[in-house]
Amino acid sequence: MKKAIGVVSLALLLMTAACSNNSSTSSAGSTSTINVFAAASLTDAFTKIGDDYQAANAGTKVIFNFGSSTDLATSIGSEGTADVFASASGAAMDTVQSAPGVSDRQNFATNSLVIITPPDNPANIQSIKDLGNPGVKLVLAADSVPVGDYAREALKNAGVSNAAMKNVVSNESDDAATVAKVTSGDADAAIVYTSDVAAATGNQVHSVPIEDQYQVIATYPIAVVTGGANATGASSFVAYVMGSAGQTTLRTFGFGPPPTS
Amino acid sequence: MRRRLPLPFLVLAGIGAAFVVLPLVALVVRVPWGSAREALSGIGASTALRLSLEVSLAATAISVLIGVPLAWILARVAFPGRALLRALVVLPIVLPPVVGGIGLLQALGRRGIVGRWLYDAFGIQLTFTTAGAIIATTFVAMPLVILATEGGLRGLDDRYERAAAALGGSPWYVMRRVTLPMIGPQLAAGAVLTWARALGEFGATITFAGNLAGRTQTLPLAVYQARELDPGGAVLLSLVLVFLSLIVLIALRGRVTGAA
Repeated sequence: MKKAIGVVSLALLLMTAACSNNSSTSSAGSTSTINVFAAASLTDAFTKIGDDYQAANAGTKVIFNFGSSTDLATSIGSEGTADVFASASGAAMDTVQSAPGVSDRQNFATNSLVIITPPDNPANIQSIKDLGNPGVKLVLAADSVPVGDYAREALKNAGVSNAAMKNVVSNESDDAATVAKVTSGDADAAIVYTSDVAAATGNQVHSVPIEDQYQVIATYPIAVVTGGANATGASSFVAYVMGSAGQTTLRTFGFGPPPTS
Repeated sequence: MRRRLPLPFLVLAGIGAAFVVLPLVALVVRVPWGSAREALSGIGASTALRLSLEVSLAATAISVLIGVPLAWILARVAFPGRALLRALVVLPIVLPPVVGGIGLLQALGRRGIVGRWLYDAFGIQLTFTTAGAIIATTFVAMPLVILATEGGLRGLDDRYERAAAALGGSPWYVMRRVTLPMIGPQLAAGAVLTWARALGEFGATITFAGNLAGRTQTLPLAVYQARELDPGGAVLLSLVLVFLSLIVLIALRGRVTGAA
């Protein structure tokens, strides 16, 4: 029996050794990889930036992991596989900054909020205040997700928070899932990022602007994650996003320039 | 007499067992026992648990109600396309649940091919409702009771039924008094498995019905939402699900695994 246990643990050891060996060769091989964890709202813009970056830096592969910034911040803390973190909120970046730590943190983009409805606008939404009208089926991202948090702030600014919260029929896990509930035609309205509308192809959604006085602007920070396998590549990617090529692409996808302060 | 097992076999079996058990042990180890009460109330665990029981029991009842007759037809009636229909009705077992959810949206959503008509004619919208969560859960869980019942019917010695019919029993009488009692154990096991699967359903529900506490947020959805801001609560809630499922499997006393 003792012998059997010994063999089992040996086999497990070999298996884990083989696995970890695998992953280290792939990152230390002739092609270098940069693991970028980025907010779901950046999916289209960063995919384009990643392609451009790879074209400009032969032999470098950019691997993205898109998701809710809060979720990504949690997994960076527990997994430690990210080289770069691009967040939709300062709070999520603060989490990573406290552990495992970041360097070269800077704001690289802004995103405003917009109301989206199905193309025929069944609940006749003309202003953010209409989201408090009785019977409107409103979908928001969950309050743990940055865009969900910002949306609740905008509703508060407009003074319709209580009424609108009663209209919420679903709390979605990220902005893409939120948009999907409107494109399917099941929700009457949702509040998402302006960049999400730029990403939604064709005329699947109708957008209703949020008045300036109620608007919430999300500021996106990016940083090199401490302890990543490819610090050099990470800095170079961050520089590329901050540079004119990266910024032009971000503008194309509906993001605003970083705040000048 | 003790049989000697080949050592490599034992090793592989040991890895297999460790692989399954380790994550469960990790959940127990990582549970924040000290703050368990606050963590559970903070994420609305009791609301989610109550809704989960409602949704899973309703889905099981519907699955038995419409799944058993379907299994019957599949087992007893020869018709063209039977093999295809059998494959289709058990497809949700292997399908990613999110695919089922998208399919349901296209069929029963407010703009779906049937849902559009429901909405225009009766003002009924299934998405974002508890009924919608029950439908999504039924879609995913029903194949288990169908498979179990059909298996029971196929393994049945039909001489008892023929004898009952020959003695003058009507088809309905034979079904109720002879066939159903004989396949009872398989049917019950299938229903309990369906319930266990229903309890764990996530993908189809969140895709089709959305996620709202008290209405569509079942336990798995509550775990998923809690994992971002309250990982400890998510671990705790996961453990609740693990124990519920474990109780179900133990209650089946080996009927699923085939052990006595």
